[in-house]
Amino acid sequence: MAEMWISMGPQHPMTHGLWTLKVKVDGETVVDTEPDLGYIHRGVEKICEARDFTQITTYCDRLCYASANTWSHSYIYAAEDLLGVEVPERAEYIRLIAVELQRIASHLMWLGAYGPDIGNLSIMVWCLREREMMMDLLQELGGSRMHYNFPRIGGVKRDLPHGFSQRAQAKLKLFLNRIQEYEALFDESTVFLVRSQGVGYAKPEEMINHGVSGPNVRAAGVDYDVRWAHPYSVYSELDWQPSVERSSIKGADCYDRYRVRVEEMRMSASMVLQALDKMPGGSETYHEPGDPKIIAKAPSRAPEGTSGSHHFEDSRGESMFYIAGGGEGRGKMPYRVSIRSPMFITIPYAAKCMIGYKVADIPAIMGSFDPCIGETDR
Amino acid sequence: MGKKISAAAQQKAAEELAKAMSSFDGVSAEIDSRSSGTQVRHTVSATSTPESWRQLAEALATDHAVDYCSMITGIHWPEAADKTWEVVYHLMRTGVKDPGAIEGVVQPNITDAENLTGADMPMEIQISISLPDTREPMVPSVQDLWVGADWNEKETWDLVGIDFEGHEGMRRVLNPHETPVGYHPLQKQHKLRYHGFEEMYDDAQGFMRKPADAGKIK
Repeated sequence: MAEMWISMGPQHPMTHGLWTLKVKVDGETVVDTEPDLGYIHRGVEKICEARDFTQITTYCDRLCYASANTWSHSYIYAAEDLLGVEVPERAEYIRLIAVELQRIASHLMWLGAYGPDIGNLSIMVWCLREREMMMDLLQELGGSRMHYNFPRIGGVKRDLPHGFSQRAQAKLKLFLNRIQEYEALFDESTVFLVRSQGVGYAKPEEMINHGVSGPNVRAAGVDYDVRWAHPYSVYSELDWQPSVERSSIKGADCYDRYRVRVEEMRMSASMVLQALDKMPGGSETYHEPGDPKIIAKAPSRAPEGTSGSHHFEDSRGESMFYIAGGGEGRGKMPYRVSIRSPMFITIPYAAKCMIGYKVADIPAIMGSFDPCIGETDR
Repeated sequence: MGKKISAAAQQKAAEELAKAMSSFDGVSAEIDSRSSGTQVRHTVSATSTPESWRQLAEALATDHAVDYCSMITGIHWPEAADKTWEVVYHLMRTGVKDPGAIEGVVQPNITDAENLTGADMPMEIQISISLPDTREPMVPSVQDLWVGADWNEKETWDLVGIDFEGHEGMRRVLNPHETPVGYHPLQKQHKLRYHGFEEMYDDAQGFMRKPADAGKIK
């Protein structure tokens, strides 16, 4: 049978955004793929060159709507490296809580979107219900529902509000119980198992060589995680292990990538509970915004010749910022901001993963890598 | 307790790597200590000449277990004294190995983080390469060593206009495919602020915007 190219996207439920996957098919079998990105390129890196360091946080929130907090934190750590700021420990704990709650919300969003991808619509409603609890907590911190603009260079916008820790503990305990419901819904669904098991195999060494990291690598039986390998924040103070999945000998399939994210949500919930307990000053005390316990003074200018970078464990892999100082206004603005998006590197790899499988497996494989086009196109 | 790598062992590993890298012609590497949070981490920062870059990259990939290309950044410095273009590579050593199997059952790799030493130690490496003033800036490609560099190189050419010698399949990735040849938006001659006018602040509602032929027609 003659081979032919077909375009999936830019408008296709598989894409989880706006991009095109060109697929070369031989009958029902995929023989070649070519992703085509850039449909929602906003030029964030260029815009940042005309904004001062505090204004950029807002733009970084909007890189990924499902995981806004991890992106603004990723930027803030790089900016602190550039400006040489030492952050108070209490602020680091609050940041950790914000980031891990965001990670749960992001994975729930993924799980909610992955269910409909492979024919289980009810899971979406369940996941978004629990995601709402996480977003309520994050709203208490940041003030808005999705784009929190919460971290500040040198600390955080505000302290944990009164009663936050009780509400967080109650909600996380409820959430930990409800995870079992998802597992029952997924693991006992024949449709889900048939469509996710045995497709999209990926081996860890190959993934690392292709620049893929995060949960996608941990699904294949390795415990590489930026949070311990390149330590930042206060992760080293908490008792946690990266979630690792026992994959098959051929590598991680879509089912392993689902399992590892469910385990990761458990681990994040446990980290938040630990951080609430361990926080210096206790989680019940409240400091006014601007208090030196939660925010340190930071210079507003970075001279020419300085640079800062930071590797950060995003919900989808390793994200990073590289900032060169010395832009307009005698260093008030960055000269160049460069963003590493984990999905920008993962999407070409996921497209390679599909070769040899059937056309009907494409949504299952693509969705399992958790694509987010906002950060990919920047 | 959770996983924690030993800062002293990491410093030693970084020193060894920096020393090995500095032995190349035109490469100078040093250790950088960074602290964000409660733990100090040591990274390697280096500068290289474009001529020795390919040789250095091959040595890093084969001899020093650098297995991950995180990001490639291109910078246009039209007004700097010593360079016009700069390429910054962020590489990493992750230490990830395929897990072994006993009787067909995979045994996950769990790293003993406290006792990591030498070439097993995760490491961050930053290498910057300065290029002289030229219309066609170019550095050798490392696409074949780290496939992760593939799309990074495409992006750097697309946005900044720095080309990679030996890169296969160079094309626009973020800009539209029909973008004019030679247009790379992150070059500094393309300005966001012009004549002291900032659209976002000085004319947020767009009342001052006029059609291009304003004043010429009745």
